[in-house]
Amino acid sequence: MEFGFDFVFPQLMAGISRGMLLFLVAAGLSLIFGVMNILNFAHATFWLLGGYIAYSAFTAFGPPSGANPLLVIPATAVAVAALMLLGFGLERVLIRRMYGREVPEQLLLTFALVLIIGDLIKLVWGVEDRSVFLGLPPAVIFGAFINIYYLVIIAVGLAVLAGLYWFLQRTRFGRIVRAAVHSREMVEALGIRIATIYMVVFGLGVGLAALAGGVVLPLTPLALGADIDLIVQCFAVVVVGGFGSVIGTFVAAILIGVTYSFAIFLWPDGALAIIFLFVIAVLVVRPWGLFGTELRT
Amino acid sequence: MSRFALPSGHNVARPRLSYLASPMQGTVIAAALGAAIALPFFVGEFWVHVANEILILGLFAMSFNLIYGYMGQISFGHAAFFGVGAYTTAIIIRAPLAETGQIGWGIFLAAILAAPIVSALVAAIVGWFCVRLTGIYFAILTLSFGELLYYIVFQWYSFTGGDDGIQGLRPPAVLMATEGYYYFSLILVAVAAMVVWTITRSPFGYVLRAMRDNQRRAAFLGINVRVHQWANFVIAGAFAGFAGALWGPFGRSVAPGLLGWQKSGEAVFAALIGGANYLLGPMLGAGVFTFLHAFVTKYTEYWPLTIGVVILLLVLFLPGGILSLVPKAWWTRRGASADVPERTKEPVPKS
Repeated sequence: MEFGFDFVFPQLMAGISRGMLLFLVAAGLSLIFGVMNILNFAHATFWLLGGYIAYSAFTAFGPPSGANPLLVIPATAVAVAALMLLGFGLERVLIRRMYGREVPEQLLLTFALVLIIGDLIKLVWGVEDRSVFLGLPPAVIFGAFINIYYLVIIAVGLAVLAGLYWFLQRTRFGRIVRAAVHSREMVEALGIRIATIYMVVFGLGVGLAALAGGVVLPLTPLALGADIDLIVQCFAVVVVGGFGSVIGTFVAAILIGVTYSFAIFLWPDGALAIIFLFVIAVLVVRPWGLFGTELRT
Repeated sequence: MSRFALPSGHNVARPRLSYLASPMQGTVIAAALGAAIALPFFVGEFWVHVANEILILGLFAMSFNLIYGYMGQISFGHAAFFGVGAYTTAIIIRAPLAETGQIGWGIFLAAILAAPIVSALVAAIVGWFCVRLTGIYFAILTLSFGELLYYIVFQWYSFTGGDDGIQGLRPPAVLMATEGYYYFSLILVAVAAMVVWTITRSPFGYVLRAMRDNQRRAAFLGINVRVHQWANFVIAGAFAGFAGALWGPFGRSVAPGLLGWQKSGEAVFAALIGGANYLLGPMLGAGVFTFLHAFVTKYTEYWPLTIGVVILLLVLFLPGGILSLVPKAWWTRRGASADVPERTKEPVPKS
């Protein structure tokens, strides 16, 4: 195997785009945990459901192969809208009952959602893998062939990072959300309806997962059980980055995405093992993650 | 043992090591044991097989609950020790089985007893890192170690058989019959459960509860939190390994999935369904889980949907598990405190 530039650069781009996908899903996970102290095991399942909805929307607008690549945009929009509504609803009906419960019970409830939604996906879409094919020509960057869609995913990831940062740091709502991370009671005492804040944050996080599901549709086929692989990696990302830190989540996602993309060449079946080794190393040296602080346990 | 005892100067009454804390408990346990012994006379082979599965999974879940219910930390990698135990037994009996097609009692029992030792050694290494963390970080670190061990077993073809696993693990002739292996499991699991009970009612067991309810306060009392947590992690690993040892010859094969986090999840389910605040809660939960699985998969392929709805309803409406339905007073003598005091919700001072 040649480890020249022609090998390293495309692999690096694949790793970064994979990292962006991890970031999109893990950011919502981290946000929900940071604000609501709810650990959402079902987060990647929302990603998968978003992907399937985007697939159905895409195929409703055009054929799964050779359609206008821009159709991904309305298809993703449909998925995000549907999942945000689902997120609002679930927060109202289920998640709300779990505030103040023990972490394992929250995990169990959200894991029940993983099982239920996973089976419902199987009922609706069947067991076949689903994918759309855009047929985009590869881009030539620095003499290396790059899947042009990687660039799209990287752009979306960076846009979401900037958007989240702006939202949390610069908007009134974002300031309230950050205040709620530190003291729910104080925010409530100031006359802000914390219930609405929580509902919006949950819907937003789930919407981000659906965005990732829609955006990644042309790159990887949808398969039952893919959510389980992803959630484990997202937990790894969030823990390595430090819970509640957007920047930490981003850095960890890119690190893990790139590590994975090279590991899969060195040890195809054990790439995930290398990820776990990485997580162990980080947690042993920095128990609260790279950017995290001992906020709440 | 002095290392694990409460510090001197605190006149802590040593809890009685009575196996029958109340007449009620004694009756329930005797009835359950009697039913377990009588079972093969009343049901067909299929359900005896299911009951055997419940016993092994139940012991595994009880070992998990030493960490969760008693120590208050959640492990997502506990199946690693179950799997290591299963593979230890499998690898020891593999060679004689390949040569003669039979296995003698001596080497078979030695293989069963080697499993908890190897599992404890692995748990000692893994636990040394894990007990430094708490909460979700503890959970993820145990998950990571578990998955790492899973991939090692999955890949190490020459030693573990890789993703093919190891087949043809025949127990000695007497145990080849479903009933024979069932009674063999019943005896070993009952003894192991008794040992677990003894541990939870020892001063060490009460130190675990103290650390669960308030780790900082326990440390202020002079308890070495990490050493106790580490010791408990090793003990829990050993019992998981013991359960794993029974699993291989029971199913005649082992596979890497025994170490995977889905298997760890089964222990979590069992503990929460049955009631993590009760010694036998995980055993009951394992029973409900396994029975439901055997029953539901007969009629529908949508088993995840079914168990998902069951768990959802349980978490929402019965957070203490099935055993929490039993009134507290039933478990105890007049005025005495419950066997496993429930965790108290004390405000933990913020740093």
